[in-house]
Amino acid sequence: MPSLENLTLPNRQFALGLGIAGEGLKYFKYWIVAAVVLAFLGPLALSQTTEIDLSTWFYTANIGKWFTAFVAGGFLYALVPNMIAAGLTRRELSVAMGLFGLLWSVALGALVFAGLLAERAFYDAMGWTQGVQTGDTISALGSWSDTAVFAAVYPLMYLAYFAAGAVIGAAAYRWEGSGWLLLVPILPVVFSLDNALYDTEPFGPGWMGFLGGFMDEWGRVPILIGVVAVAAVLGLAARQILIDIPLRSKKA
Amino acid sequence: MFDDGTPIYRQIADQIKAEIMNGSLEPGGKVMSTNQYAAFYQINPATAQKAFRELVDEGVLYKQRGVGMFVAEDARERLAADFRERFFERVLAPLVQEARQAGISLTDIIDYLEAQEGARK
Amino acid sequence: MSFSATLRDVTLKYRDSDALADVDLELEAGKIYGLLGRNGAGKTSLLSLLAAFRKPTSGEILVGGEPVWENAGIVSRVALIREGGDFDDSDTVKSAIETGQIRPGFDTAYALKLAERFELPLKKKVRELSRGKRSILAAVCGLAARAELTMFDEVHLGMDAPTRDAFYKELLAEYMDRPHTVILSTHLIDEVANYLEEVVILDKGRILRHEEVEVFQNMGATLTGPAAAVDEIAAGLEILAEQQLGGTKSTTVAAFEAGTRERAAAAGLEIGPVGLQDLFIHLTEPNRNGA
Repeated sequence: MPSLENLTLPNRQFALGLGIAGEGLKYFKYWIVAAVVLAFLGPLALSQTTEIDLSTWFYTANIGKWFTAFVAGGFLYALVPNMIAAGLTRRELSVAMGLFGLLWSVALGALVFAGLLAERAFYDAMGWTQGVQTGDTISALGSWSDTAVFAAVYPLMYLAYFAAGAVIGAAAYRWEGSGWLLLVPILPVVFSLDNALYDTEPFGPGWMGFLGGFMDEWGRVPILIGVVAVAAVLGLAARQILIDIPLRSKKA
Repeated sequence: MFDDGTPIYRQIADQIKAEIMNGSLEPGGKVMSTNQYAAFYQINPATAQKAFRELVDEGVLYKQRGVGMFVAEDARERLAADFRERFFERVLAPLVQEARQAGISLTDIIDYLEAQEGARK
Repeated sequence: MSFSATLRDVTLKYRDSDALADVDLELEAGKIYGLLGRNGAGKTSLLSLLAAFRKPTSGEILVGGEPVWENAGIVSRVALIREGGDFDDSDTVKSAIETGQIRPGFDTAYALKLAERFELPLKKKVRELSRGKRSILAAVCGLAARAELTMFDEVHLGMDAPTRDAFYKELLAEYMDRPHTVILSTHLIDEVANYLEEVVILDKGRILRHEEVEVFQNMGATLTGPAAAVDEIAAGLEILAEQQLGGTKSTTVAAFEAGTRERAAAAGLEIGPVGLQDLFIHLTEPNRNGA
C-alpha cells in the first residue's frame, strides 16, 4: 500500500480507497498495457488474411468486466481479515471499497472509451468496419456518435460488475464453502442487463443472459436505469454482508 | 534469579535491605528507579514498585517527589534491629533444630564457634 | 492514555455451543495481564471480542470506556496479534509491516528497527517465511502498532527460546517506555509469570479467577517431611499432588494460608513453592470439585 503514513482518523477510509485503487492499477499495469497493445496489433495481424469487420476493443472491454469482478471479489476477500485486524472498522472498509470501485470503474471505463474511439479512427484510416457481434450477426457501428454512445456506458457496466464481484468476495469470506453460491442469482441478472443493453452476447456463458431477451424491448434508458439500480443494490448488499462480518478464527 | 516461593517484590525488598546492610547502598544515597529494577530483573514494574512501597512503609527508603527514592539516614539501624531479630528466628532456630536431629549437642556447636572466632584472631 | 477493558454479562455462541457464558470482567488500564486457560476455554474468543474481530451474542464490551464495536477511534488503537498474524501471504514482509500504517499511531521506524534486530527478510514474501519468522513478524507488527490495548494470542508459537526471551524483553521495554494495557495469552505460563501484574484464568467459557499475580504465588505450597507430620498439617487442605519415598512424604496443597504456614514451619516441615503453572493445572482440572 503506498504512502499510508500519517493517516488521520476521520478521513483515512478515503485515503485508503485511493490507495487501494492506485495499488490495484499499479499491480495490473502490465496486463492492462498488454491488453491495449493486443487490441491494436491483433486486427493488424488478422487483416493479412481476412477482412476486418469486428471491433477488437469490444472484446477487450468485455474481458474488462470479468477482470473487474475478479479484482473486486479478490481484493475484498483478502482485505477483510487484514484491514480489520489492522484496526479498521467494517464501515470504513466498505467506504474505502466503494471509492475503489468508483475510481476503478471510471479509470477502466475511460480507457475503454478512449480505446474504442481510437480504434474507430484507426479502422476508418485502414478502411475497416468497426462492428460488434449481436446475436448471430455482426452490426456495424454506423457513425462516430454510435461508437461514442456504445462506449460511454462502460464505466457504468464496470461498476455493476465490480459490485457483483464485491458481493461474492464478501460472501465467500463470510460463509466459507457456500458464499460463492450467490453467483447463482447474481450472474443471470447482471448478464441479462448486459445482454439487453447491447443486444449482444456478454463475454462468457451467454445463456446466463437469458433474461435479456425479455428486457431488450424496454429501450436503452430503462435498461440503463436497471444497470444503475442493480449496481446500487449489489453495492448495498456487499456493504450489508460486510458490516458485521466476523473474522474467521485461525486454524489450529 | 528468583526462587518462586516468596513473592518477587519481597525478594527485591530483601535484596535492597541486604545492600543497605553490607554498605553497597549508603544512607541518603539514591536507589535505582522502579523501571531500572524492572528492566534489570525482567519483571513487571508494578512488582518493583510494591517492593519500594513496602520499604517506604518500613521507613527504610523515602521518596522525594520528582527526584526518586533515597535510603533513609537511619535505615541501617532500623534494619540491624530487624535483622538481629530475624537472625535468631530464621537462622539459629533451624540450625539448632537440625543439630539436634543429628545428635550434635549445643556445647559442641559453641566450642566450634569459639574455635572459629579464635582462628580469626 | 491506556485503555481499560470491560465485559458485562457477555455471551458468545458458536452455533449451539457457548464459547463464553455470562462473562463479567474488568481490566484496569495500564497493566500487563496474563490470560490463562486450557485449549477451548475461550481465551481467543474473549480477545476477539475485545478487538471487535467479532460481535458478542449478547452483552456489552467497552474498551477505553466506549463500546468497541465499529468504533474507529477505539479499534485503531487496539491491536490483537493472533498466532501467525493476519497478513496477505503474497505481500512482502516490508509491505505487510506497512499495512499497519492505517493506524495513525503506527511507528514504522520502530517496526523496521525491530525487523532488523530480529533478522526479518524485508524483501521476502510472507508465505516464504518459516513459522518462527512469521510469528516474529506478527509480534513486531503488534509492538509497532503502539496501541493502547495490545493483545498477543499465543504469538510465541514457533519462536525458539532465545527469541521468546528477546520478545518479552522488548515488550517490557516498550511497556515502560509508553504505559499501555497488555494482555498475554499463552501456555508457557512460568515463562511470562514475572512480567504479569494480574492473572485471569478462564475455564469452560467462564472466568475462574482474576487476581494479582502474588495471590497465586502465595496460594499453594509443597510440604516435605516425615509422612505423619505432613499428613497432619495437610489434613483438611486441598491436595494437588502427593509423593512418598520411604518415610518422607511430599504433598502439594492449594489454599495455603499464613496460619498453616506457621504450623508447618513449627512442625519442622520443609515448605517449597508451587509455580503458577502447576497451580493453573490444578485449578482447571476437569474433575476438580468445588472450583
